[in-house]
Amino acid sequence: MSSSEGKPKRVEAEELLEMQKELNAGYISLEDLRRAGNLPPGEIVEKGIPVPIFDCLENIPCTPCHDVCPTGAVVMETMNDKPKVIWEKCTGCTLCAQACPGLAITIVYPKFGEKRLKGKRPDAEKLWLVSIPYEMLPIPKKGEKVRVYDRGHRYLCDGEVYTVIKSPRFGTILVNVLVPGECAFEAKYVEVIRDEQ
Amino acid sequence: MLLQPVDAIFPVLPPSRAWIVGGSGIAASSPLSGLVDRRIYEHPVLKFDRGRRVRIIFEGREIPAYENETIAAALYAAGIVHFNYSGHLKRPRGPFCMIGKCSQCMMRVNGIPHVRTCITLVEDGMIVEREDVHDAELPTPTKKMKVEYVTKDYDIVVIGAGPAGLSAAMQAAKLGAKVAVLDQNPFLGGQLIKQTHKFFGTKDSYAGTRGVEIAKMLVDEIKDYENVDIYPSAQAIGYYRREGVLVAFQSRRLAEYRVLKLRGKRYVVATGAMERSLVFPGNDLPGVMGAGAAQTLMNVFGIRPADEVLIIGAGNVGVIIAYQAAQAGIKVKAVIDILPKTAAYLVHASKIRRMGIPVLMRHTIREAYGKGKVEGAVIYEVDEKFRPVPGSEKDLAVDGVWMAVGLTPSVELLELMGAKIKFVRELGGYVPLRTQYLETTLDGVYVAGDATGIEEASTAMMEGKIAGISAAFSLGYKADWAEKERAHAMKWLDEFRSSPHYARIKEGIQKVLIQK
Repeated sequence: MSSSEGKPKRVEAEELLEMQKELNAGYISLEDLRRAGNLPPGEIVEKGIPVPIFDCLENIPCTPCHDVCPTGAVVMETMNDKPKVIWEKCTGCTLCAQACPGLAITIVYPKFGEKRLKGKRPDAEKLWLVSIPYEMLPIPKKGEKVRVYDRGHRYLCDGEVYTVIKSPRFGTILVNVLVPGECAFEAKYVEVIRDEQ
Repeated sequence: MLLQPVDAIFPVLPPSRAWIVGGSGIAASSPLSGLVDRRIYEHPVLKFDRGRRVRIIFEGREIPAYENETIAAALYAAGIVHFNYSGHLKRPRGPFCMIGKCSQCMMRVNGIPHVRTCITLVEDGMIVEREDVHDAELPTPTKKMKVEYVTKDYDIVVIGAGPAGLSAAMQAAKLGAKVAVLDQNPFLGGQLIKQTHKFFGTKDSYAGTRGVEIAKMLVDEIKDYENVDIYPSAQAIGYYRREGVLVAFQSRRLAEYRVLKLRGKRYVVATGAMERSLVFPGNDLPGVMGAGAAQTLMNVFGIRPADEVLIIGAGNVGVIIAYQAAQAGIKVKAVIDILPKTAAYLVHASKIRRMGIPVLMRHTIREAYGKGKVEGAVIYEVDEKFRPVPGSEKDLAVDGVWMAVGLTPSVELLELMGAKIKFVRELGGYVPLRTQYLETTLDGVYVAGDATGIEEASTAMMEGKIAGISAAFSLGYKADWAEKERAHAMKWLDEFRSSPHYARIKEGIQKVLIQK
């Protein structure tokens, strides 16, 4: 059957990435999250309190985020419920993001630069902080530049590693990245930019 | 017949020269030009304890190995993927399952044919040769074989030391029963030992903990019980129904055997499952393997089975393996699945999507090709009726094709024992009929874990608890905590299976549930 069509074309992963259809293959859009109520309302963001973003839209039997939350900010009645966040209760401790088996939780600290970095750097005003779970190599270092990607691996912006938290309990690393505020909710993955030597 | 001394069946012959030069009449296909080392020395979540360095001899070449590696792992680490030849067409073959189930890893070791190299640990100076699996000669062992016979009575004999078996044994032991646990693998913990992702579920099922750590916890705990005997590297090979005796063959070292005659008042069969394959040209090429096999190499032994892979199947196993491959530094060219929608948890699938690993739905494999091992694969798209879309063929340069296309319960032993089994699609194949306490149609023979139907490690642990406690109860052991533990496990399973992801499992179980 294949011979009549000639030799199939050799393709690389990058081209396949272009060919994949968005639907039904693990892609979550910001719109999906908004519809599910997983994005914080404007007034919460205005307050500048940490907001956990749960990319968790299915009823699966899983409860670690709820179990580890010290303030009861993650509500779940039965193990198959989707986690529901009570925004005001979150202290930004990141335990849920460390524990989540799906690495589905990022934590956004709106207006982080304005509150914590003012006077220390010129671009402070526009920088927000995002905590991203990470289990790959190389492990980013403080101060290093990283490429920041969205949920479909589209490049968003460059970010700067603010701190790296190693969780001895869960083994997942949290990379805290400074990014321009406008890509904070989109940011979901980082890659280290390191000169190969 | 089985209980004859093994020496009488396999006479010890003076070592022939044949095995030193050419194996069983097969010339080495190509000299190994420059050995490689495919071991992983830096990993984001794992550390590998390889033990002391030793060497094995493969077709006249010295190959470095470590004492905690199996022969198959050491060969793969050296880039050797071709283990034997098919009987008829002499096609090169290599391991498919890496957990002692498929027999595709068989080689001649120290003159003994048909050694399953994936569950046999290396020993310094071992002589390993490719064999023709059809025309294997009689053994010509380099050392005299030692055989020991052990006969022992137990309250409960547990077959399989995975999450189900270990949980069953632990509960029964806690209740005071005298327990034996055997497993054909040299390591305990079943498939938990290669699960590097944090588990779903709840606190009761170790959620948030990585499978490999759960295995460590279970094994450490069970070793503390004096009323538990553990038999690793022991394969159950027969069951004498009238006598109620299970016969197993244990081989901790090559050519040192123990024939175990274990008489259990009760049995818990927790034999797990086996990976499925797909039919396509080239599916027997070395480098085409089960996703679990690749996982064993990457996560148990810290070896990169390939540099660039195609993964078939975008269910949970497929996408998890893709993630783990990336952790091991392997390039995943694509994860493909013939279905229009992935069956994986969205969180698992989105993990690899955000990393830029292509997930192509409605795609399947046409062929894998290569000389002696995989060098590429052709995939194509299908329409709603699963017909090929003309012109959609794509050729990928890969040196690994991993299949994550489902598992089948391992019920051979149960069948041999005489338990009634039934084909239930929702549960992954033939599964035993059983009561709510997991007793099969045979009185006193219980079942737990994937052998009851394909689910997961968390459910296997809960089933193990139920089976172990029930078996011990039936022998008169009693305790309030155990009543509670069992009731809790049953409730937990019911709740777990209420997820829309597991509706099929519930339906399936209804088809095999019996009353006694």
